[in-house]
Amino acid sequence: MPSRRSRLSRARSLGLVALAALLLGGCSQIAGLYPPAAATDQGQRIRDLYDLVFAIAVVIFLFVEGLILWAVFRYRRRDRVGLPPQVHGNNTLEVVWTAVPMAIVAVLFFFSWQTLNTVDARAADPALKVDVVGFQWQWQFSYPDAGVTVIGLPDSPPELHVPAGQTVELDLKSQDVIHAFYVPSFLFKRDVVPGKVNVFDFRIDQPGTYRGQCAEFCGLGHDRMTFSVVAQTPADFAAWLAAKKATPAPSAPAGAAAGSAPPSAGSGQAASLSLSASNIAFGSASLTAPANTAFSLTFDNQDQGIPHNVDIKDASGTSVFRGDVVTGPARTSYSVPALKPGSYTFVCDVHPNMSGTLTVQ
Amino acid sequence: MTAQSRSLPAPRGGHPAGHARPGISNPVLGMILFITSEVMFFAGLFAAYFNVRAAAPVWPPAGNEHFQIHHDVWPLVGALTLILIVSSLTCQLGVWAIQRDDRRGLVRALAVTLALGITFLVGQAYDYSQLGFGLSDGTFGTTFYTLTGFHGAHVLAGTIMLGVMLFRATAGQFSARHHDAVEAVSLYWHFVDVVWVCLFSILYLL
Amino acid sequence: MATTVLRPATTTYRTGLYEWLTTTDHKKIGILYVLNSFLFFLLAGLLALGVRTELARPGIQFFDEKLYNQLFTMHGTVMIFLFIIPMLAGFGNYVVPLMIGAADMAFPRINALSFWMLPLGGLLLFSGFLTGGAAAEGWTSYSPLAQAKYAGMGTDLWLVGLTLIGTSSILGAVNFLVTIFKLRAPGMTLFRMPILVWTVLVTSVLVLMATPVFTSALIMLFIDRNYGGHFFDPATGGNAILWQNVFWFYSHPAVYVMILPAMGIISEVLPVFSRKPLFGYRAFVFATSAIGALGFSVWAHHMFTTGSVFLPFFSLMTFLIAVPTGVKMFNWIATLWGGHIRLASPMLFAIGFLTMFLIGGINGAFSAAVPVDFALHDTYWVVAHIHYVLFGGSVFGVFAGIYYWFPKMTGRFLDERLAKVHFVLMFVGMNLTFFPMHLLGLAGMPRRIADYSPAAGWSELNLLATIGGFTIAASMLPFIWNVLVSLRSGVEAGDDPWEGNTLEWATSSPPPPYNFDHLPEIRSERPLFDQRHGLLGSGH
Ligand code: HEA
Ligand code: HEA
Ligand code: CUA
Ligand SMILES: [Cu+2]
Repeated sequence: MPSRRSRLSRARSLGLVALAALLLGGCSQIAGLYPPAAATDQGQRIRDLYDLVFAIAVVIFLFVEGLILWAVFRYRRRDRVGLPPQVHGNNTLEVVWTAVPMAIVAVLFFFSWQTLNTVDARAADPALKVDVVGFQWQWQFSYPDAGVTVIGLPDSPPELHVPAGQTVELDLKSQDVIHAFYVPSFLFKRDVVPGKVNVFDFRIDQPGTYRGQCAEFCGLGHDRMTFSVVAQTPADFAAWLAAKKATPAPSAPAGAAAGSAPPSAGSGQAASLSLSASNIAFGSASLTAPANTAFSLTFDNQDQGIPHNVDIKDASGTSVFRGDVVTGPARTSYSVPALKPGSYTFVCDVHPNMSGTLTVQ
Repeated sequence: MTAQSRSLPAPRGGHPAGHARPGISNPVLGMILFITSEVMFFAGLFAAYFNVRAAAPVWPPAGNEHFQIHHDVWPLVGALTLILIVSSLTCQLGVWAIQRDDRRGLVRALAVTLALGITFLVGQAYDYSQLGFGLSDGTFGTTFYTLTGFHGAHVLAGTIMLGVMLFRATAGQFSARHHDAVEAVSLYWHFVDVVWVCLFSILYLL
Repeated sequence: MATTVLRPATTTYRTGLYEWLTTTDHKKIGILYVLNSFLFFLLAGLLALGVRTELARPGIQFFDEKLYNQLFTMHGTVMIFLFIIPMLAGFGNYVVPLMIGAADMAFPRINALSFWMLPLGGLLLFSGFLTGGAAAEGWTSYSPLAQAKYAGMGTDLWLVGLTLIGTSSILGAVNFLVTIFKLRAPGMTLFRMPILVWTVLVTSVLVLMATPVFTSALIMLFIDRNYGGHFFDPATGGNAILWQNVFWFYSHPAVYVMILPAMGIISEVLPVFSRKPLFGYRAFVFATSAIGALGFSVWAHHMFTTGSVFLPFFSLMTFLIAVPTGVKMFNWIATLWGGHIRLASPMLFAIGFLTMFLIGGINGAFSAAVPVDFALHDTYWVVAHIHYVLFGGSVFGVFAGIYYWFPKMTGRFLDERLAKVHFVLMFVGMNLTFFPMHLLGLAGMPRRIADYSPAAGWSELNLLATIGGFTIAASMLPFIWNVLVSLRSGVEAGDDPWEGNTLEWATSSPPPPYNFDHLPEIRSERPLFDQRHGLLGSGH
């Protein structure tokens, strides 16, 4: 007989385990309740911690929610006769439901502290260091050792190329407001704070492209501060870096005149305009230029460390001239081709809210 | 009816409609709580001050000789500090006076306190005109004027309250049994004084 | 003459507009608070519907970034500072003097002043919409984004408006504390006070200690913006993180200001509708105080990703705060246990509170695990957390309170059938709106974006949330209709319609000026229960 009882209890506990597994498994079917698969080593640690927190949370949730609903339905009474026993409290119970949650949070704290230490650990000699500058409303990635800089434009978010399988260190800097470098598949973000440099390491194991986005609200263009992280095999990465080095400046789009081509000689005295930019604003909101003749535009970017350019668009919004992006303080001279009479707008591609009108007559 | 109310302990200014409890009176308790909130307000400003000060390599920041305010502390600012401390004393003398039902003593003490308070304000205004730096001159100027400015505003509020008290005292509205307002204002004045002593120590001495 | 006839109570509320505008009666002021806050709830809700409408589909359809940023900033600001905090203060105003057997608040004129600062502050905040744009930096108004360089006049109005509203809060807190300490009826010892009074007490201490710090921050930012100060902008020598520290030093305690009185409300409702005493009264008082105290040591859990705070300490404290909250949760359940539960409207909303606040508490605890917060911070997960605690918690508590005390305030019941329609729509709507936000957050959707890529895979869930948002809005219609109809022709309630426990049910509905003609003897935290049943089982 004892064997039958123990078999039964074994069966019962097996059943319980199965039920628990089913419940948890069922939950994991709702893939949405989990973050995306981690791309980085560090992200995988966070994912492991998340799974633990999630499992404990589900158990607490089902238990407590179950108690509430059970109490409500079990003790519901439509008649109003008599009084239930007037129980005022129970010290043992108070101790239990103080101590058990205390133990649970102690466990949770312990594991999250451990995970924190590995996630925040920094390699002494990362394979690559990249300076990340966030500004309203773009990203700039520079590879100081290679002298390569990538700046995003509204229609072409920047790509942060990194070698897979190697530790990369990011130094996060801002010149204006606070941004945050966030890649969902890293399960990680870190604020980009003016006045200080935040640093973190990561290692991506598999080549791939991961979507990223600014996560700290930073004004009008916050929703457009996207980027992507491209992890390549070290060989591909080296090739990419070398190619970038060969063509340092961002290329001007086809159809628009190239940046600093010498002014066409011969046609007498070319008109000359000047425009400045400071504090993320153009120095003047309207310019006037002669029609049907090329002219030069001296652009003075006075914003320390902040890139600007001048992009001239016609009434339909197509670009008729797009100047190179220059990082201030710097002065450049654009040669603008001959324009038909009319009204144009000029904007900074990096800061679409910097704009003015250009009247050509 | 009259016999009964005479046998009760003297009510100390609770709201007539409420069930006033013995002990500290409502206005005085209210003032103490309000002062608690004022302490937290200044704590916020002080926290900001210590934050920028801790971040600066040297303090006062180099490059502006006007920032060396601790050099000429004693003639003017020291005197002002003394004035405030004395005014706290005279204010308290007024409270003690009215507790003895000495109405003339209260009026005298309030008048002196008020005069000292005004002297402090005038002195501080003069000091501002001599400093040679402004609110927007670096973190030093910003924190200096914010702290002393808000303290000054509180002194101003205090002198206005003292003025009202003085007016009501000359009208004979206070007595040994009825002077909660005087006590509350006096507490406020002490608070303003303590804040100044902290400010003085931190801005000029530390 | 112990049995003077009470003045006919109904005349109290049939007074003219002038009387309402100049009243210093705590009950009228309480009702003014509730009405004013409800109005701002509708306005802020309307702004939220704007947010939801824009987010329903990817792309910019109705509101561009410039407007969208104002919408969510004003939505958050108004919901917090002009709806939930004053709404709960309004209940405190109406109920606390009644519950402790006092005739009024300690300082009735200051009470009126506190109230009238609110509509004024609200007017200032909203006037931004007419003067070239309201504040648009989020309700957290982080610097440097909120500096004059980046943010317009609306932000100055925001600063001034909030300073005014904060001052109103501080004066209110002083008033509550003096009232509670000094005006209790004979026999009403501290440990016989209803739990709601305890929560208002702790809340007032939080306001008294935290709100002035916020005021100082607002003023410093104002100086930065208008007088060339250098507090918060690193470009001129200030410190951007300083703003966050000062802001959250206030705003974390403030989230308990937004929940504790709501917990107090349901701690009144659950016992009455279970016909049992609150389980573990003393444990409840200690838990409330512990939450208040711990609340001052967790502020940096909003700053885990700044790289500027000592993470383990704030993580530990944040985890710990789940413990006293858990104590409350279990005591509430134990109060239900073995009771005679009546599912009348106040009870429905109280149970709604329990079931939904549980979710909000647990999904908040996720963020206490710092590395997990690295993933969740500033995503829609946090938006889900906010709304499960604030909507699922505080708002359900507020409606429980409205249905519970409406008969006391007006002498008439609200209609139970309409109440059930309201409850079901609101409950379903809120889960439809805010549950999908967990999934959006995990999928990486950041907060405070007007637009997202159709390729991101967030479109369906956002549409669902939008449908939910409009369902919540729809739930307000039966409620408003219910109030309007019941005011005229609701069922007469009598003095004590619910068989209440606390002193407000010992006077007429509505109560006369100065509240009580005669008080029952107070020998436990349930004087009316004792009066009805004798000291049956009340082992106090
Ligand atoms: C009513 C308001 C309210 C309340 C009550 C809470 C309660 C809690 N909050 Fe929440 N919080 C907000 C309002 C509130 N919060 C708001 C508005 C924000 C966003 C601000 C912004 O950025 O705009 C925020 C943001 C916020 C963050 C920052 C997230 C981020 O930006 O990354 C964190 C991080 O730790 C947090 C944690 C918590 C915790 C641990 C609790 C705890 O108090 C919850 C405790 C309750 C329970 C846990 C449930 C019951 C307990 C049990 C059944 C016991 C057993 C449980 C365990 C052992 C876990 N909150
Ligand atoms: C008490 C607090 C509270 C409440 C009740 C709500 C209620 C709602 N919130 Fe709130 N929300 C916050 C506090 C609150 N919110 C805070 C603090 C933030 C952060 C802000 C920030 O990031 O800075 C936020 C942010 C926030 C966002 C994120 C925005 C973003 O990051 O971009 C969203 C998105 O959907 C949202 C939606 C909603 C919805 C749909 C409701 C619904 O419940 C609203 C229901 C609708 C109504 C109640 C309207 C009813 C109106 C009518 C029926 C019209 C009738 C009119 C008349 C009769 C005149 N909220
Ligand atoms: Cu940059 Cu948000
Ligand atoms: Cu918090």
